[in-house]
Amino acid sequence: MAQPVVQTIHRDPALFYWILVPITVVMILTGILRHYAMTLLQTTPKKQTLGQIRQQRSLMRGVNLRINANQLSKSSFEGRKAFLVEAFKNGAFLADPEGRGKPRPNPMTDPAMMEGMMGAMKGNVAMMVPQTLIMGWINAFFSGFVIMKLPFPLTPQFKSMLQSGVGTRDLDVRWVSSLSWYFLTLFGLQPVYNFILGSNNAANQITQQMAQMNPAGAAMTPDQDPDKLFLSEAENLEVIEHQPILDGVEDRLLARLAA
Amino acid sequence: MSADLIQPFPSISPSTAVHLSQQAPQILQSSSSLSLPYPLSLLTSTETQETWMTYENLLISCLRTGDNEAARRCLDELLSRFGEKNERVMALQGMYEEAVAENDKELGAVMQSYEAVLKEDPTNMPIRKRRVALLRSMGKTNDATAALVELLDASPTDSEAWAELADLYFTQGLYSQAIYSLEEVLLIIPNAWNIHARLGEIAYISATSSESSDRGNTAKVLSDALRRFCRSIELCDNYLRGYYGLKITAKKLLDALPRGGKGAIATSDGDLPPPPVETVEKLHEIATSKLAEIVRRGSAGEKGWEGYDEAELIAARALLDKDEEKVER
Repeated sequence: MAQPVVQTIHRDPALFYWILVPITVVMILTGILRHYAMTLLQTTPKKQTLGQIRQQRSLMRGVNLRINANQLSKSSFEGRKAFLVEAFKNGAFLADPEGRGKPRPNPMTDPAMMEGMMGAMKGNVAMMVPQTLIMGWINAFFSGFVIMKLPFPLTPQFKSMLQSGVGTRDLDVRWVSSLSWYFLTLFGLQPVYNFILGSNNAANQITQQMAQMNPAGAAMTPDQDPDKLFLSEAENLEVIEHQPILDGVEDRLLARLAA
Repeated sequence: MSADLIQPFPSISPSTAVHLSQQAPQILQSSSSLSLPYPLSLLTSTETQETWMTYENLLISCLRTGDNEAARRCLDELLSRFGEKNERVMALQGMYEEAVAENDKELGAVMQSYEAVLKEDPTNMPIRKRRVALLRSMGKTNDATAALVELLDASPTDSEAWAELADLYFTQGLYSQAIYSLEEVLLIIPNAWNIHARLGEIAYISATSSESSDRGNTAKVLSDALRRFCRSIELCDNYLRGYYGLKITAKKLLDALPRGGKGAIATSDGDLPPPPVETVEKLHEIATSKLAEIVRRGSAGEKGWEGYDEAELIAARALLDKDEEKVER
C-alpha cells in the first residue's frame, strides 16, 4: 500500500478562536463550578451516637487483638481473649442490644439510609445536568467542525475517538472534531483542576464515579448485622494461634549484635 | 518556617517550644498580609493542612511558654476558620481557658463548661480528653481515672488515651493495671519501641518495689522486662532507654536467678521461662558496652549520634560510673 498523501485542509483560523478556546474555557469553568456546587451540596455525615462508636471501635479492638496478638505474653493474651470472646458472644458491645437476632429493617424505610442515598443522588445530578447541557450546546452549535490537527501520527483505531460527529471515511486520523475535543477535555482536565482547586477537588465526575464503585469504610457497612460481625470475630479470636514475639528475643538480639 | 511546627506537638522539647513561640509574631503577621477580593481569593487560596497544623502547634507552644497573648491570636485565627463548633478547636479553646484561669474557681468554671458540652454531645472525644486532663491537673486522680476508663469503654482503639491511663495507674502505684493499659497500646501500634521500653520499665519497677519473698515470681517479671527491653532495642538501634533498662534489669535478674541448674523455675500458665544465666550475662555485657558507646559518641555529638536527650545521657553516664566504682572496690 502506498504512503497516503498528506492531507491539507485550509481551516479558517476563526475556528480556533471561536470553537476550540470556548469549549476548553467552558469545560474548565464548569469543572470549577461543579466543585463549588458539590461543596455546597455536601451534607455533613450524620454523627454516630456514642453506642455506635462503641460498637464499631470494640469490634476494631477485637481485630487489633487478633492481628497483634503476638505482642503479648501468653497469659495476658489468654485473659483478653477470654474477655472479648465472652463479651462478643453476649453482645455486650452492641449499640442496640434489644435488636439482637431481629432481621434487618428494609433499607428503603430507614430514614438514615434514605439520606445517604439522597446524597449520592445529589452528586449524580450535579454531574449529569451540566454534562447533558454542554453536550447539547456543542452538538447544536459546533457539530461537524474539524478544529485542529494533532502534531503526531496515530493509528486508524483512534478515528472513532477523535472524529465523532464527522462522517468522513478518508479523513486522516490526526484531525480532531469539535465533539471529540469535548470528550478529550471531559476526561483529561483533572490535572488542570488539581492545579486550580488543589488535589482534593470534586470537579471531575470520572474520579467521583470511581469512588462510588468501591465505597470506603468496608470494615463496617451499615448493611451488615453487627451481631453477626461480633460472632464471627469471636470465632476468629478463638482459633488464633498465639506465638509471642518475645519468645527468643534475647537470642535474636545477641545474634544480631554479635554479627 | 521550622519543620517542628507541622509535626504533632508532643514531640517538641521545652527548648524548642520556647524557640517556636518566639517566632509567633512573625508567623502571625505573615499570614494576614495580603488577601484578594472575594471571587479572586477563591482561586488563590494558599491554605494547606500544614497552615492550621502550624497554628495549632504554635498555640500550644505559646501556652507552654506563657505567651497568652500570641496564643489568643492563634486561637482567634482557628476560630474564624473552623468556627466554634469544631471539636478540635473547642478542645484548643478549652486548653487556652485552662491556661489563663488564675484560680481553682475559674478552673471549676471551665470544668462546668466541659460538662455542659458533653451533656449535649457525649461523642465529643477531644473535650472528653480535656476533661480528663483538667481533672488530673486539679489533682483529682481518681476522678480522672474513672473518666478515662469511661472514655476507653466507648472508644477502645484510642492509643493516646490508653497510654494516659497507663501513666495515671503508674502514678498511683497500680503496676499491673498500668501494664495492661500499655499492652493495649501495643495492640494498636505494635512496633512502638518506646512503649515496649516503657512496659519493661514498669515491669522492672513493679519487680523491685514489691521485693516479695517469691523469688520465682520476681524472676519471671524481671525476665519479662528484660525481653521487652530486648524487643525495643531490636526495633530501634542504639535506643538509649532500651539499653539502660536492659543493663539494670539484667543485673537485677542475675541476682534473682538461681545459679546453676537451668530451667529451675517452672512456669504454670504457659508463659515463657526466664532466660538462662549465661544469656543474661552476655546481655549485661553488651548493654554495658553499648551504653558506654552511646554516652561517648552522643555527648561528643558525633554525626549520626545526635538527638539524645541531655538528661538521659547524664543518667546513663552516672549508671556506668557507679558500676565502675563497684568494680574498683
